[in-house]
Parts: sequence; structure tokens; C-alpha cells
Amino acid sequence: MTISVRGIGWLTKAGYGSVRLGLHHQYAQGEGIHSLAKLGIFSQPFKNFGRLDGMSRMTVSAVALALQDAGMEYSPASKQDIGIIGTSCEGSLKSDVDYFRDFIENGRTLSRANLFIYTLPSSALGEAAIHFGLIGPLLYATGVDDSLAELLDMATEIVVAREAGRMLVGKIVEEEALYFVIDGKQDECALCSLIEAWTIVESTQDISDILRQFSILKVKKGMA
Amino acid sequence: MKAVVVESNILTPLGPGIDACWDGLLANRTSISRMSRFNTKAFFSDCGGTISGLKYHGEISLVMQMISMLFDGSGTKIPGDAKLLLATTKGEIDLLEQSIITGTGDVAESSLNNLLRKVIDLTGTKGGGMVVSAACTSSSAAAARAAAMIRSGHADCVLVVACDSVTEFVFSGFSSLMALDKIPARPFDKNRSGLSVGEAAAYMLVMSEERAVREQRTIIGVIAGWGMSNDANHMTGPSRESEGLVRAINAALVSAGITAHQVGFISAHGTGTPYNDAMEMRAFRTAFKDRKVPVYSIKGGIGHTMGAAGLVEMAIAQRAQRENIVPPTVNLKEADDDAIEWVADRHQAIGPNSIALVTNAGFSGVNTALVLV
Repeated sequence: MTISVRGIGWLTKAGYGSVRLGLHHQYAQGEGIHSLAKLGIFSQPFKNFGRLDGMSRMTVSAVALALQDAGMEYSPASKQDIGIIGTSCEGSLKSDVDYFRDFIENGRTLSRANLFIYTLPSSALGEAAIHFGLIGPLLYATGVDDSLAELLDMATEIVVAREAGRMLVGKIVEEEALYFVIDGKQDECALCSLIEAWTIVESTQDISDILRQFSILKVKKGMA
Repeated sequence: MKAVVVESNILTPLGPGIDACWDGLLANRTSISRMSRFNTKAFFSDCGGTISGLKYHGEISLVMQMISMLFDGSGTKIPGDAKLLLATTKGEIDLLEQSIITGTGDVAESSLNNLLRKVIDLTGTKGGGMVVSAACTSSSAAAARAAAMIRSGHADCVLVVACDSVTEFVFSGFSSLMALDKIPARPFDKNRSGLSVGEAAAYMLVMSEERAVREQRTIIGVIAGWGMSNDANHMTGPSRESEGLVRAINAALVSAGITAHQVGFISAHGTGTPYNDAMEMRAFRTAFKDRKVPVYSIKGGIGHTMGAAGLVEMAIAQRAQRENIVPPTVNLKEADDDAIEWVADRHQAIGPNSIALVTNAGFSGVNTALVLV
């Protein structure tokens, strides 16, 4: 089976976009991750967006852009045979601190369930699964060096073994996010092969650098 | 390529080793009791399953103490080329607690990458390592990925290590979700009302059958199939339709090349919460079409050990296969209507060479099912 990358969505401190469609939106003053739900990224209303923790907001936004880049529509009514693997250098550290600090400040008596639910590294992926109807395997994975290449290998195994028809694979580093959609189909709509993507993500950990290399790849392939 | 288990060990509140846990379960003994590790006055319950001899908020985190105890004196020689998969939900979260409570240290010390480095050092594995975290399915998901790596030929030796500990952090969180039973958890009981938090560490060395035979290893069992799914429904509650777990079970059966009829017994997640246990029984009834298969949960004996639960339950299921009996569901007094004739308060006999189905579920709607032969 040949594995293809069908779309890539990204977020940086300055804006958001996607690779195949060449979408690039620079934040205007006052815009940022907090306002993504109002900027037309989601094709379906995201009613709880304001209640999500930061990691979940970035994850669901990058996933929305990746699915859009891959030409895939979604609706809450129809669930899809797609899995998701994500990583981040921090895991749920920020939410852990928020939860426990709040608990301590409340005299170690009251703790907030709405903060606790984001203290799992996989919680952000769960929010994505719920909104986009992803019913395939879901897991957070991280190596010593947060390599996206290892995650692509794991996702490939899942697609090849038909554990899921498609996989979302991505990472979050501080205020930047990158998500890929991969599957086992090979046609002219694919952005690139898995090998091409793997070579790029193996060469650098920096998300801006990864995006730059994909732009070069698009030019080489005559897709720009 | 078959993925076979050649070594495993567990450390649970019932004691060190598989024997201690197995004997305790067979004796219908619970290790869940009133806790003294931290003040539980403000919480919904004061019950938990803790391992004796651990120092809380000392220099070494609870899970590292547990993992050291797990490997110390086990006589196990982990091959240097083994790839490591470390399964956990909260890892060294007690380090973060200490840092916030005392206002000293660095909260980032509790990161999962840090823990991974420590476990790589302790086990001497040089084949690369990865943390796998999928809520309370973390270690069954890691075992599934280990088996997948071997089946695909990407690895021929994977060490899966799992750990999670009882801390004020997780205890207060489960309390805030009103998920705790006031008394020791009663999985599948009519009067169950929540889970008991427990802690454990476990490891499993998984190899290709070819390598295991070449190295003349004793084969404990085969991870014959696996399925992972998501409900895509709710962050903390399971689907009322059970379709996610049914999908995972069916995927595991297909992966193993068997039918539901061939499954001899089920090691259920069985947390003791009303919703989880009802969801599981609905899934079993759907998958097994009312053919009553012996079902048990070990969480009345050791509590819900979170990210370590799957690996501990796999080890106990493999022991059940060897002994031709499944343990009782500890603390079961009166089986819930939908579980009558599936679960029992005493051990149940199973046939020789019975195939095991091990199920787990967790927050974010994750489900896993593993077929063990």
C-alpha cells in the first residue's frame, strides 16, 4: 500500500493556513488563537470552543485546517473512520499546573472538573474526535525528541493494517501546530508521498522550517 | 509475524508479582482501604489501592519507585535492542504537586519525556523509546502498538512498561467528577456507585515468535489481535450505545482471525462506575449475541490503576489461561441485572487453551480490545 499525505493544516503565532490549498491568513490586530472559531476555520459551529484549554483549541483548529486542505468535509451527524495521533513537547503540563494551582488556592478542598478533564495528554485529541466525529484509534505519543517522523510511522502501520481508513498526525510546539492527513490512496489529489513528508519532518523539528520545505516541494512538483 | 509475550511482571496494591495479585484475587481479597497518603477529608471517598513502602513527596517520584521495585530482583534481562513503549496517564505528577505546594523546583520535571529518559536508563533499552498515553487505555494501547510493530516487521522486540500512581492530584480530580465510590469499588454490582483509584506498575516483553524461538524464550502467550476505537461522543462519559467498544472488539476479533464464538472469557475494564459497567455489558451482549461468556473485573481487588490497568489485566488474563480458571469479581455481592450469569463472586472454570478478550475504555471516548491466545 502506498501512503499519501492529503493535506496539512498549520498554526503559528502570526497566523494560520494550509499547504496544499496554499491558504495563508495573517492575524489582524486583536485576532489570535482565541478567535479562531470566529474566523471561518470550522465548517460546523464549535459551540464549546471558548471552554477548551489552549492545547485543545490549537489541536482542533489545526485539524480543521488539515481536513479542509485534504478536501474532506465533516458533520457531527456522520462519524468517520479516521484516527488521530498527536504529540507536544509539553503534554498537558500547562493544564496540570492550572488545575493543581487552582486546587491549592481553594484550600485543597474544591477542585474543578472542567480543569481536570484537560490534564490528560490525550484530552485535546478527544476534543478533536468529538467535534470531527473521528472514530479510529486515538493516542498521544512522544519520544525523547518529539519527532513527528516516529508518529508518521505509527500512523502508517495503522492505515496499512486497515485499523483506520485515514489518520491525522500532528504536533504542537508552544504556540505552533501542524497536522497531516494521511491515507492509503494514491491519486493526483495527494499532496505528496509519505516518504517525501517523512524526509522533511525527519530533517527538522521546527514547524516554520517544515512549512518552508513543503512550499519548496510544491514548487518542485509544479503544484505552487 | 506473531507477537508473543516472553516476560511480564506486575506490582499492585496486592503485593509484588503476578502471584501476589492472582492469589489475592482468588481469595476474594481487596487491597482497597482508607488511605493515609494525603488528607482525604474534603473528597467524596477516602478509599484507594496503594502500594505499601512507597514514599510520597520524597526525592523519587512514586512511579519511579514502583518501576525500580518492579525490575529489582526480577532477574529479567531486557535485550539492549528492545524498543521501549512507556504507558502512563500522569507519570511523575507528584513532582509537579511538590513543586506547586512548596513553591520550589521546576514543574517541567514532571514531563513525560523526562520520565521516558529515566525508564530508558533504568531498563537499559537502546532501541528507541516512546510514551504512549490514551487515558485509561494507555497500556493496552501500548501493547497493541507493540504487537503491531512486530506483526509489521518494524520491530522484533518491544518492552512495554506501564505505571500510574495514587496522588492528591488524580484523587481530587476523580472526586470532583463524582466518580468515586465511598466504599471499595464494586464492579458489575447492582449497587455499585463509582471507582476506587489504585496504582500499579507493570511490564511486558513482547517479541516476534521467530526471535523468541531463536533465543529459546518461554512463550507466555500471544497477542493475537487488537482493536482501538473512539466513541467521538463525550469527554468523560462512555457512549450509551456502546458502539465504540463493540467496534474495538470486532476489530480485535478480525485482527486475530477468530469469531466471537471462540472467545473463552473476558477480562473487562469494569471500573465500578454505573455508566462504564453498563456500557461494557451492553457491548458484550451485542458482540456475543447473549452467549454468556465468563466476565470478571480485577478493579474491586486493586482499584483502577489508570494507565497501568491494561497491562496488569493482560498479565492476570494470561495467568487465568494457564490455570484454566478466571478470578472472582472482588466485592461483587449482587450482580446487576445485565451482568447476571456473566460475572461471579467466585472463580469460574474455563476450558483449556481458552482465548481471552481484554477490554479497556477511558476518558475522551477511547476503547481498546485485545485478543490473547
